[in-house]
Amino acid sequence: MSSLLRQHAEDQYAEELDLLAKQDTRPRPPNWKLSPWAVATYLLGGTLEDGFVVTPKYIGNRRLMEIAIATLATDRALLLIGMPGTAKTWVAEHLTAAVTGDSTLLVQGTAGTSEESVRYGWNYALLLAKGPSREALVPSPMMRAMTTGKIARIEELTRIPSEVQDSLLTILSEKTMPIPELNLETQAVKGFNVIATANDRDRGVNELSSALKRRFNTVVLPLPATLEEEVEIVQRRVESIGRSLELPAEPPALHEIRRLVTVFRELRSGMTLDKKTKLKSPTGTLSTAEAISVLNSGLALAAHFGDGTLKAADMASGLLGAVVKDPVQDRIVWQEYLETAIKERDGWQDLYRACRQAL
Amino acid sequence: MQAGALMTAHIFGIRHHGPGSARSLRRALEALQPDIVLVEGPPDAQDLIPLLTHEQMRPPVALLIYVPDQPHKAVYYPFTQFSPEWQAIHYALHHNIPARFMDLPQWHQLLQEDPEKDLEEDLEEGLEEDSAGEDLGEAVAEETDPDATAKTDGGEGVEQAESMGDIRRDPLRWMARAAGYADGESWWEDMVEQRRDSADLFQGILEMMAALREASVAESLAVDQSAEQGSEPGTEQEEAKRKRNRSLEKKLEKELEQDLKYEEQREAWMRQTLRAAEREGFSRIAVVCGAWHAPALAEMSPASKDVATLRGLPKTKTSATWVPWTDERLTLRSGYGAGIASPAWYQHLWDEGEQPASVIVNWMTRAAALLRAEDLPASPASVIEGVRLAETLACVRERSLPGLTELWEAAQAVFCFGSDLPMRLIADKLVVGERLGQVPDDTPMLPIQQDIRKLQRQLRLPPEAGQRDLDLDLRKPNDLERSRLLHRLNLLDIPWGRLDGGDHGKGTFHEIWRLQWQPEFEVRLIEANVWGTTLMAAATGRTRERATELNALPPLTVLVEQALLADLPEGIAHLMACLENLAAVTSDIPHLMAALPPLTSVLRYGNVRQTDTGMVAHVVDGLIARICVGLPTACASLNDEAAEAIFPLVRNTDQSIGLLQKGDHREAWQSTLAQIAERENVHGLIAGRCCRLLLDQQVWPADEVARRMNLALSTATEPNQAGRWIDGMLRDSGTLLLHDEALWEILDAWVCDLKPDDFTQLLPLLRRTFATFQTAERRQMGERARSTVRQQGTLSIGNKIGNKNRASNDSLPDYDPARAARVLPLVGRLLGI
Repeated sequence: MSSLLRQHAEDQYAEELDLLAKQDTRPRPPNWKLSPWAVATYLLGGTLEDGFVVTPKYIGNRRLMEIAIATLATDRALLLIGMPGTAKTWVAEHLTAAVTGDSTLLVQGTAGTSEESVRYGWNYALLLAKGPSREALVPSPMMRAMTTGKIARIEELTRIPSEVQDSLLTILSEKTMPIPELNLETQAVKGFNVIATANDRDRGVNELSSALKRRFNTVVLPLPATLEEEVEIVQRRVESIGRSLELPAEPPALHEIRRLVTVFRELRSGMTLDKKTKLKSPTGTLSTAEAISVLNSGLALAAHFGDGTLKAADMASGLLGAVVKDPVQDRIVWQEYLETAIKERDGWQDLYRACRQAL
Repeated sequence: MQAGALMTAHIFGIRHHGPGSARSLRRALEALQPDIVLVEGPPDAQDLIPLLTHEQMRPPVALLIYVPDQPHKAVYYPFTQFSPEWQAIHYALHHNIPARFMDLPQWHQLLQEDPEKDLEEDLEEGLEEDSAGEDLGEAVAEETDPDATAKTDGGEGVEQAESMGDIRRDPLRWMARAAGYADGESWWEDMVEQRRDSADLFQGILEMMAALREASVAESLAVDQSAEQGSEPGTEQEEAKRKRNRSLEKKLEKELEQDLKYEEQREAWMRQTLRAAEREGFSRIAVVCGAWHAPALAEMSPASKDVATLRGLPKTKTSATWVPWTDERLTLRSGYGAGIASPAWYQHLWDEGEQPASVIVNWMTRAAALLRAEDLPASPASVIEGVRLAETLACVRERSLPGLTELWEAAQAVFCFGSDLPMRLIADKLVVGERLGQVPDDTPMLPIQQDIRKLQRQLRLPPEAGQRDLDLDLRKPNDLERSRLLHRLNLLDIPWGRLDGGDHGKGTFHEIWRLQWQPEFEVRLIEANVWGTTLMAAATGRTRERATELNALPPLTVLVEQALLADLPEGIAHLMACLENLAAVTSDIPHLMAALPPLTSVLRYGNVRQTDTGMVAHVVDGLIARICVGLPTACASLNDEAAEAIFPLVRNTDQSIGLLQKGDHREAWQSTLAQIAERENVHGLIAGRCCRLLLDQQVWPADEVARRMNLALSTATEPNQAGRWIDGMLRDSGTLLLHDEALWEILDAWVCDLKPDDFTQLLPLLRRTFATFQTAERRQMGERARSTVRQQGTLSIGNKIGNKNRASNDSLPDYDPARAARVLPLVGRLLGI
């Protein structure tokens, strides 16, 4: 097993991608490693003709993934929007891995992202020594994607300052990047495209201009629709992460996952699952991704300090950390939830006691 | 098998609405060149067939079959351009060959309904005569429903998919399941409607349905057997449960049996029609029927059996006509629609015909245009991207052509930033459509229908399926006529327009209407024919009938108001007579008082509508006289609650009488008020208000009122009564208190003289009165009370009431002018003065 903490999608699922590519007879768009159908199978899982089972990477609405893939097959850019923790980045990574076999061309959007990271920078030593030249140019991931016909990813598009966002306009509509200093330009090779992600929860971000919006097809990734779906997501992810982190603990029982997801869903919707009791919602988003990390930390606790099986006490501190983001308000919300919802529930007493102790 | 198939008949199994079926059928007919076309439809409407190609005919339209003396027993057969039946008849008429309807006639069906159900409905109608409009509508819907669904379920029956698992109800769902589709509708759409090569299509449908019918028969046998078994004794509970289940099963079984019998009758009739056509010597007979029935017509059973099936059916007389229909009624959403989810999309598919590319482009462009009309951005560049995305999406899903789902999802991703809200805005126009059909003028119609059409044309007010606001200026003759038309229709329970009651600040000569024509109005028009042959006569007749039935004043008054708005002179005369009779016998003065304001407003403002107000004036005179006589007694010995009820009536009556500006009325009224004010046993609230009204109208001078106030508030009077008196006097009118010095002083003195205990007891009452004043008024009263204190040094009402406001009133602090003056030069320099 590799010593890397986390492998790229294309490495981790190399076998699946390989087999899919071998058996995929459908037409592929230029520079694509797989046909759109195979990409969809890779993302959503399925069984190949020879009986090989492809694990699902995204559990949820099939139509959304189809729209995303179809978007990439046209030369329109794709914008994935959703609350934090709804697998935007995850989907983007696996899409690029499946389509181009390379998910590394990534621009991380921050308030400090400069134009250089979207277009190109300069090797200043060379620039001073030899003057502006093609050699002195340091291409951005975007530029490399254009020249190789791959897909570039932009994380957190809305955090990038508006003026830097604007430099994307030409790239997205003309598919070229002018280099005025050298009187040159870089033209995109077929297969080039952009996947951006943005979350719609945080305030104070740089709202996209309508000119930029217009150049993206938007897919809104929702929170998991049903308890079963969310449980499945959490279970799969925890298992695979646990494996890569080499946690010695046993994989968590479905029972624990179900309880955890129930807590998350109830707090998120402000209502118990039987729709009988109203609850306060905490300030955090309580996404599925957070549920996964709570379980992981619980597993680690169980493995290193417990007896190796996940117990309510191992989850309690993680739960507390996930729910209570605001020390005053959320604590009240959490306490109320413990007293009104968990306390009386059959078979939940251990979780209740553990959570009371953690508070 | 015994009788075998007729060699001359060519069976085309179709779904009742579907552009693909319609196109394939048309093509098949062109190829076959039949010499007669038989269509599944009601023979009652045979004579109406030629109208289909009339140049004024605009689909969607429906055939309406009804029983002439019971018009609410009615059935609709909707047609639109992409209905295969429509295309079949169209083909026949164009090629000058006969076209015939071949379904079981409604004259055998319309009276075959459950007698219990009818009785129930009659009862309901009787109970809720007032809101008969709504009920009647529902009754029509309910009664029509079984027939409508029965008609459609042969073809697709999607709406009943969940209710029963059996094949017969929803044959397509079984095929769809087998093919891996979620529902029958989308499977049929992919397989049939969007198909472009139609060769062998109908043969395929025939074979498929034959297989399904066999399976269905097998299934129902299995059900029968399982029902026979399982009657072992168990515990009591189980027994009860089983009994319940059994009875449910029995019911379902019975329904099923009836359905089967009904279906057999229909198919027998179809076969008989087919045989008749063959006997007449037609050699190439095209038969267009619901796909489900196709096998039954292909394999003819012996004629004698069909004759036996059809023997002894009850018969009644029916009438048929074409009525306009709407896109919305074609959808599943309306109760007795024909059952397709997206008429506008189908229409689009039909219109665009053979070019698949233009289907997508035109749809996307239309979506963009509609979004733009809603002020949402949708640029042509986005349209291009939308089309590309839809096509790619279809590729990803491995469909030959983007369907509505692909187009919809593409539009949402490209135009709407992933959100479905903007798309919902345009969904109705884009998917359902808002068309309203039109039928030729020479369609057989009842006189009242013709009258309405004439009026609609005259007044340039065509019926539309979409909602629309209409602002009428009643000073214009045309608008006035329109208003009368709408009001009269409303009297007949045909709410084509709903009057917007809100005050638009546009004066009494404006009316704002919200118009929307519903196809079922045609049925109500037919019903209205009972009351008269023209709109005016019918509205009058209906009004008279209702007036005679009513025996309480308030609803009668409302009716009078409506009749006046609708300008029905004869009706009004009758109403006034009723009103007078009723007013004479009623001892309920509040009812009389409630009846007065609407009538006076007619008298006062009636001239805008040019209503003849002579009759009204007569009734109003009578009403006022009766009120003046009866009111003093009616005001005697009231409790608080009753007094509160009478209070607004007194106020409104006073306003109405003021409005009339007739001297003798006013005098009579004023003397009544004085009488009440002077009586001993009258509730304080009413007495106070009477006093106040007399003061306002300057019947009593201020000092007289002051005297009465003193009297009413004197220590001998019980404090509660005094407090109510003040309430009646002052409610809603703080300004009077502020500006009438004498009144103020009386009140002030009264408060000052109150004993502390009495004051505490009265405070809540006073507080309630004063709370109705505006904040500014209260503040001014407080200030005024304080100034009185300062001048006179006495304890006054102001002190007691104004205490609360003290803090805010004291916002001007005392200051030393000399010290302030010393700062002024510096301020001057700072400001550079």
